[in-house]
Amino acid sequence: MAPLVPSQGELQRRRLIGINAETVTNIPSTDFPGHWPGESHGWALDKFKNDFKVDYHRNDPYEASFSLIGLDAAVANAFRRILMAEIPTLAIETVYVHNNTSVIQDEVLAQRLGLIPLKGSVEGINWMHWEQKSTGDEASAAPELTDFNTVVMHLVVECTKNPDAAEDETDARKLFHNAHVYAKHLTFEPVGRQEQYFVGEGAIRPVNPDILIAKMRPGQQIEMELHCVKGIGADHAKFSPVATASYRLLPDIHIQRPIIGNDAKKFAKCFPKGVIGLEPVTSQEASQAGSGYEGHAGEMKAVVKDAFNDTVSRECLRHEEFQGKVKLGRVRDHFIFNIESSGQFESDTLFLEAVKVLKLKCARWKRGLDDLMA
Amino acid sequence: MSREAYQVPSMGGQNAFSNDAGYSNSMAIDTPSVVYLCGECSARVALKRGDQIRCKDCGHRVLYKERTKRMVQFEAR
Repeated sequence: MAPLVPSQGELQRRRLIGINAETVTNIPSTDFPGHWPGESHGWALDKFKNDFKVDYHRNDPYEASFSLIGLDAAVANAFRRILMAEIPTLAIETVYVHNNTSVIQDEVLAQRLGLIPLKGSVEGINWMHWEQKSTGDEASAAPELTDFNTVVMHLVVECTKNPDAAEDETDARKLFHNAHVYAKHLTFEPVGRQEQYFVGEGAIRPVNPDILIAKMRPGQQIEMELHCVKGIGADHAKFSPVATASYRLLPDIHIQRPIIGNDAKKFAKCFPKGVIGLEPVTSQEASQAGSGYEGHAGEMKAVVKDAFNDTVSRECLRHEEFQGKVKLGRVRDHFIFNIESSGQFESDTLFLEAVKVLKLKCARWKRGLDDLMA
Repeated sequence: MSREAYQVPSMGGQNAFSNDAGYSNSMAIDTPSVVYLCGECSARVALKRGDQIRCKDCGHRVLYKERTKRMVQFEAR
């Protein structure tokens, strides 16, 4: 018996998650073998290649938004989690304090320094090695510090009085030199092969030079050496290359029965701007019996303009007049990703990096299976 | 030492710790001076053994030790 082939309409219906006033229905995916009697849903590479689609909505260096269409939620979620926790980046890890007479305590200052996002030559950062941190056993000693695993920075600032300041000056930043210590005071010293990678624009420096690190008064000084290493977000959030990496499902609004006149205006107000549009009812629609538009020619009706921007607030479901006229939903396999880079890498390369990490994991898993069979 | 044998230090000198003027003067030559910070004006005050504990600028009598010169290591996490 040949496998049953469901109609396009049925397939479209299966793609939708129902969003009702109090409940969410039809959540799990059903496109796997054995769920629908007589239908074959075996995964095939050709079919996936055919159906899978990527749409870019926005691609700025530090913020990218794109849609992945035709993907399983497990894979989309794996990408999101890898983005946040498993792509190695450079961050300050060890702080050697030679002197710190400011009011902020050494350990607090060290923690603040660690969270400063750094940037530099991407080629150089990729060249650097990432090593699993030693577990503290005596056997696994700390790795030797070399040019390919440690970047050395210094923070040497001393606050002094500004003799040129006006008599009645009250702003500490004008009254004193270096009253505020900013991320721009961090200085980088290339060592060994770092001199080839981190030169000019590629030098290691904070992404934002105006991050406030500490405040000082005359006579106080900070002198410390900072060692930056590569690490992953799973170890500490400072190593996470993204500020946010999230996805949402494409909203779907279906107007089942006509919404006309003042109701249409009210309906449009239930959604963010631009989601619902108002269009005049054509005489053709009005003349059609049973369409619900009879005798309303020229009045305004509500139409779905752009469901993409909807927040699915369900506000329209609270009103009596829209009962049974609208159906809200989300498309189960349409993931709208939003990746905001913290500045070390560009957002779109971060996603490719996540794909690379997932591929590596799959290869490792496959090797494990091979070993199991051998 | 019995209670009776205890001698109350005489307050003749300016400083209770330097009641023996001759002793402190002879030591002042070869004792290294230690730098303290004034609790009032945070000026650096170098004191030798037997010196009066007092800021040379403002006369404040509370002095603090300087921070250690040793390097201290922290993890930035």
